[in-house]
Amino acid sequence: MLFRVFVKKELETLYEILAVNHVVGPTSRGMAKRGKELFAFDYLYDFQDLRLDFTTTTHSLKPFVLPFQETLSSFIIEDGSWEKHVDLNIYKQHVFFGVHACDINALNKLDKVLSEQAYPDPFYTGKRRNMFIIGIDCHPQPFCFCRSMGTDTVLHGFDMYLTDLGDSYFVEIQSARAWDILQQIPTAEPDEEDHRRFVETVEARNREFSCQVDTSDLTKILDLEFQSPVWEEWGKQCLSCGTCANVCPTCYCYGVSEHVDLDLQGASKIRQLYSCNLIDFAEVAGGHNFRPDSSSRLKYRYYHKHRGFQEAFEESLCVGCGRCGQACLAGITVPDVIASVRGQEEENE
Amino acid sequence: MEKGGRSYLGVEIKRPRVAFFELSSCEGCQLQILNNEASLLSFLSLVEIVNFREAMSIRSDDYEIAFVEGSVTRADEEERLKRIRKRAGVLVALGSCACFGGVNQLKNRFNDLEWVKHEVYGDHPVETREVQPLSAFVEVDLSIYGCPVKKEEVEQIVTNLVLGKSVDHPRYPVCMECTAKGNTCLFELGEPCLGPITRAGCDSWCPDNRMGCWGCRGPADEANIIQFREVIRKHNIPEEVMLDRMECFGGFRHILKEMKGKQDKGQME
Amino acid sequence: MNKLEFVDVMPSQGKFMRKTDLTSFEYSYQAEITSVYPLTATEKLYQIRIIDTGLRQSFNFQPGQFVMLELPGIGEGPFSISSSPTRHGDIELCIRAVGNLTHFLDRVPRGTVVGISGPFGTGFPVEKMEGSDVLLIAGGLGIVPLRAPLFAVLENRSRYKRIDIIYGARKPSELLFTYQHQMWRQFDINLDIIVDEGDADWTGPVGRITEILEKRIEVSSGNLSRKTFAIVCGPPVMFKFVCNMLIDAGLPMQKIFVSLERRMHCGRGKCCRCNIGATYTCLSGPVFDYWEVMNMKEAI
Repeated sequence: MLFRVFVKKELETLYEILAVNHVVGPTSRGMAKRGKELFAFDYLYDFQDLRLDFTTTTHSLKPFVLPFQETLSSFIIEDGSWEKHVDLNIYKQHVFFGVHACDINALNKLDKVLSEQAYPDPFYTGKRRNMFIIGIDCHPQPFCFCRSMGTDTVLHGFDMYLTDLGDSYFVEIQSARAWDILQQIPTAEPDEEDHRRFVETVEARNREFSCQVDTSDLTKILDLEFQSPVWEEWGKQCLSCGTCANVCPTCYCYGVSEHVDLDLQGASKIRQLYSCNLIDFAEVAGGHNFRPDSSSRLKYRYYHKHRGFQEAFEESLCVGCGRCGQACLAGITVPDVIASVRGQEEENE
Repeated sequence: MEKGGRSYLGVEIKRPRVAFFELSSCEGCQLQILNNEASLLSFLSLVEIVNFREAMSIRSDDYEIAFVEGSVTRADEEERLKRIRKRAGVLVALGSCACFGGVNQLKNRFNDLEWVKHEVYGDHPVETREVQPLSAFVEVDLSIYGCPVKKEEVEQIVTNLVLGKSVDHPRYPVCMECTAKGNTCLFELGEPCLGPITRAGCDSWCPDNRMGCWGCRGPADEANIIQFREVIRKHNIPEEVMLDRMECFGGFRHILKEMKGKQDKGQME
Repeated sequence: MNKLEFVDVMPSQGKFMRKTDLTSFEYSYQAEITSVYPLTATEKLYQIRIIDTGLRQSFNFQPGQFVMLELPGIGEGPFSISSSPTRHGDIELCIRAVGNLTHFLDRVPRGTVVGISGPFGTGFPVEKMEGSDVLLIAGGLGIVPLRAPLFAVLENRSRYKRIDIIYGARKPSELLFTYQHQMWRQFDINLDIIVDEGDADWTGPVGRITEILEKRIEVSSGNLSRKTFAIVCGPPVMFKFVCNMLIDAGLPMQKIFVSLERRMHCGRGKCCRCNIGATYTCLSGPVFDYWEVMNMKEAI
């Protein structure tokens, strides 16, 4: 691992160097009702719009790798015959400037299903291979439980990772292209003092975590509590609206629909991200629904994330970013649901 | 214009004769269809329009698909609707007025319709009665929701009709489409919104423009009203604001009736 | 320059290679519907042939695997291959008209070109069953995925011992592949058919599939030999009863194979629509042994 430090005012130079590519970064979306500032990842056109001090974003980076709607193929129809065309819809490198560890971990998890399994998804993989990722250390929010999920630090999946040391940035460099780019701004080898300040910063951050989820033996407990009445209760609260899946950095379920053009000379196959909480998620042609009630659908979501994925990849499909709980109008949060399944509600209150 | 003779993947596709009608409405839904200059020609080669008062002067009573906009507010409209039903193989309710009564049915809120008539028309009364959707009088084969309807959706639905594909409306709420856009939830901004209980398909048109949903497409499948009331309460939005919105287009009529029934029962106990 | 170099993950776009690289995701063979046989009022047997001769011959599948069939603009869905693996890309699919895709398929003429991708999923281990008795139990449309392993067995009949087919349907008019029943019997197969309700012409037994199975188990004096394999496919309610009876008769769970049906949108282990728990029916299934089924929540 290679480390450098550079003074803060060089950040703008770094931004300008990379600005010849598409740059995506955290930026302000105004104030919410309770005086909370809202942030989002968006294309940036001005260094001033970049807000590395962001708390969290309502939505993750997911739309940049898995857009809500994407055309998988289009067809030219001529009489009885047809021709299929595929466009991966990515033509340029994107720089992601300022991504927290949880979101980088989320991309690494998505890679496991979408890029590394049989039948890798070229639409996703194409976008993934064209990402230049600059990580940034975070300020844990009261709803962040990434520490419980083991995703509060990230080991790979970025080009460089910045840690704010006050007047300078401490950079961890993981790619040759990041190294080359850093050659263009004045950087220095971190000295003893930088090391000390880095460790202090990390420890100060760790003290800020306040939210926890007990994941010990969770796969077994989810199996044991499959018939637990708590699912029924959560099901009653669930609005079956799919918001949690949309804001989730790791939800990747989708549906495919086919459309014929108005002139009957073309057609397209479009995928739209779906949510396992939506009513017809598991309905087959003919009408049979394998999960007709909201509680079985909600249970399936937890089951997939915290048991099934764990079984397949030895890690959970949740990075503890807490976005789903924040976005849920019914106030259903992962820590509450898991605590209730474990019979620990009182302790958590 | 040439008739029929088209095929799709070897299957002969007929060019159906189509008619547009309006009952009590603003005719805005029909205007939406005409608004689509870019695709109007393709639309016309897909179907043969034989009756469309807003667009052409020729009238024919020989049609296979009838699109009916608007709600029923007069006896003669009821008769007309029944005549259309007899002639049409497929009757399509076009827009929220036809599907649920629409904005028109707001007057049903008043107990004394005579008073309403006098307030609106003064000394020049017209015949008007309780507003009803098409389904109160005839069987409706297909509903196209929205106030107004979304033209792209109408085109897709017509294409599917012509091809013999089923027309599947989203069964989930507007939130799904709204959050997919990366919108900031309007509840965060203190705005009431019926998104969590209203059927999607509109592409979250209103919330995209920072305007809370008014429920023009009616309730989503198994909309969780009980929890939604809880959400409203938690966000300190008066329940009347929510009820006002739910009453606006008539789609939630049955749900409101049920809620009112429960409330009355509760008061009696 | 600081312009980062674009990585084209599919440089040979449009010219698809095969199998598990990135180009396979949206790949489909162009295949022609060569003939259509109506089997019942709602089911038809489609013979579909991959047009390219080379690709047709290199199309290999295991009995029990499925393909995704696509009609551009109409739909795409999973269908179990019900023809013999030795016929390669000259496949037969038995399809009931229930949804958009299948209804449209019902209308297309012979010669229509469809898209076929796959084969996907797991198959029945017919080689492992050699030297054993094989019990094929099908309810309703469940006979369709069983037809491919049946062909595999018929073509190597001498390698297997006793073979039973227990086939149940609601009505005689819903029985599939009736024209082949005689042929199956000629291959020394015990074919027992039972219907829920008979009609004027029906002379066979009326009742549940479990009644026949009971008799079959009695033949083995209540104890199915360790040299028996069972393949079960049918409506969800059938699985539990039949599989429990087999287990009670001493058949080990790993020798009972089932084929499950779920909604699928991709067939490639991505969309999650077919998940049982978090097991992809399209990757780990549709063929599971009963031990795997027991370990999945809500599988049957």
